[in-house]
Amino acid sequence: MAEQISQERRENLKSAIKRLEAYQEIQNNMGRCMAAFNFRQADKVLDYFALGQEDVSLEYADEGVFKGINAVETIIKEVVGAEPKSGEMLDLQLTTPMIEVAEDIKTAKALWWCPGAGAIPEEDKDPKAIWCWGMIAADFIFENNNWKIWHMHYFRFIKCDYDKGWVKDTSMLNRLNTPVHPLSSPSTYHNPYSPLSVREGIPACPRPYKTWTDSSWMTEKDKSR
Amino acid sequence: MDIDLNVIDELDAEEFTEMECAVEKLLSVWEIKNLRGAAAIFHDDQHIGQKRRELQAVKHPSVDVKGLMDFRRKAVVDNLEGNMLIHPLTTPVIEVNADCTVARGVWWSLGIEGLSKFREEPMAIISLGMVPGTHIKEDGEWRILSGAWQRTTKNEYKKGWVRDMQPTNTRPPLTPEQDRNFLGKYAYMKDEVRKPSPEPPHKDTFDKFPEETDNIWLYINLKK
Repeated sequence: MAEQISQERRENLKSAIKRLEAYQEIQNNMGRCMAAFNFRQADKVLDYFALGQEDVSLEYADEGVFKGINAVETIIKEVVGAEPKSGEMLDLQLTTPMIEVAEDIKTAKALWWCPGAGAIPEEDKDPKAIWCWGMIAADFIFENNNWKIWHMHYFRFIKCDYDKGWVKDTSMLNRLNTPVHPLSSPSTYHNPYSPLSVREGIPACPRPYKTWTDSSWMTEKDKSR
Repeated sequence: MDIDLNVIDELDAEEFTEMECAVEKLLSVWEIKNLRGAAAIFHDDQHIGQKRRELQAVKHPSVDVKGLMDFRRKAVVDNLEGNMLIHPLTTPVIEVNADCTVARGVWWSLGIEGLSKFREEPMAIISLGMVPGTHIKEDGEWRILSGAWQRTTKNEYKKGWVRDMQPTNTRPPLTPEQDRNFLGKYAYMKDEVRKPSPEPPHKDTFDKFPEETDNIWLYINLKK
């Protein structure tokens, strides 16, 4: 007698395919967002954020957390949307994907390690070549039939003069002592590499989960789970 | 992608099982990428003895668990400050066997390091290499059965990879010969033709090399 396939098994397969589809779409969307970010296309970058969510957020380096639709739109327009300059370059790349899609397939948690290079224009001389490596951790949410960035945290890892390297040049690791952005709230984590820093395995690799509760996985220090 | 999942309800048992197996393979590749990412994170921070979930297969008869645990407890630097090992994973090639119990993979990596052995100012290092490995399922999760970092370069940043090759940092330190027979076996040498190893796994890897502990698939390009 031919094997009967239970409805539960069929539903499990459908669910697995949906999760795989989400896995691929999240990587494509983040890749597109990264390209737009590197090319200074603020409006395109914003297209990949979940601007239908009141608590959408972006945290980067030690500039703080920009939480809420207005704060995210404002900071991306200010930072990414600034007028491009001759000789300027940012080239962040996505590698080492670690992604979990929730069992309910409504959200996902993702982490990439991002090697990067850049060039900063300087007055009356050649642009300064820099290394800028970091990690991107993000919650995604399925919004309007698409996977959108819900909470994103860019963890700066190194930012240094190419000629000097990451040990000799720590001058760009932390923000200048200028007024913090009025729309930012305090950073949750900032521990870039320096000769005196201690690595902590953060951001952490996301773990399988049923339904989203919070973003604490990004800064989870307990590696036993 | 917009897949009509209703077709799954129409599949007969054979078709369904075939699709289920194909999906299971894709899920396995995903899980193994996550596993290797977690291993890269754990490798970076070097906190000896810190409790962490096991990523290595420890129940397989081929694994020397005591040796593995002893190795993990050995400090190779005095201090954590200034030390880091960031080996991003790129260029993944992963093959999973028919019943999704064994997977082979090779990644390439362009990484950076900071090395301070005795609290001296760290050395900035460019570190290129490969991550070959075999993976099996243990307690329902994919784990690493075998495979160690294979160095291509490990050079002081300013000197570059032609002029400098740092050995793997061990205590006591390795001689150049020992290093050459360890993780530096296939490392770049300015006066040698590069050896094409490891070979990424091919689709027929499990037909040609069915034993899960057989790592010869990595070295098929090497002349005897």
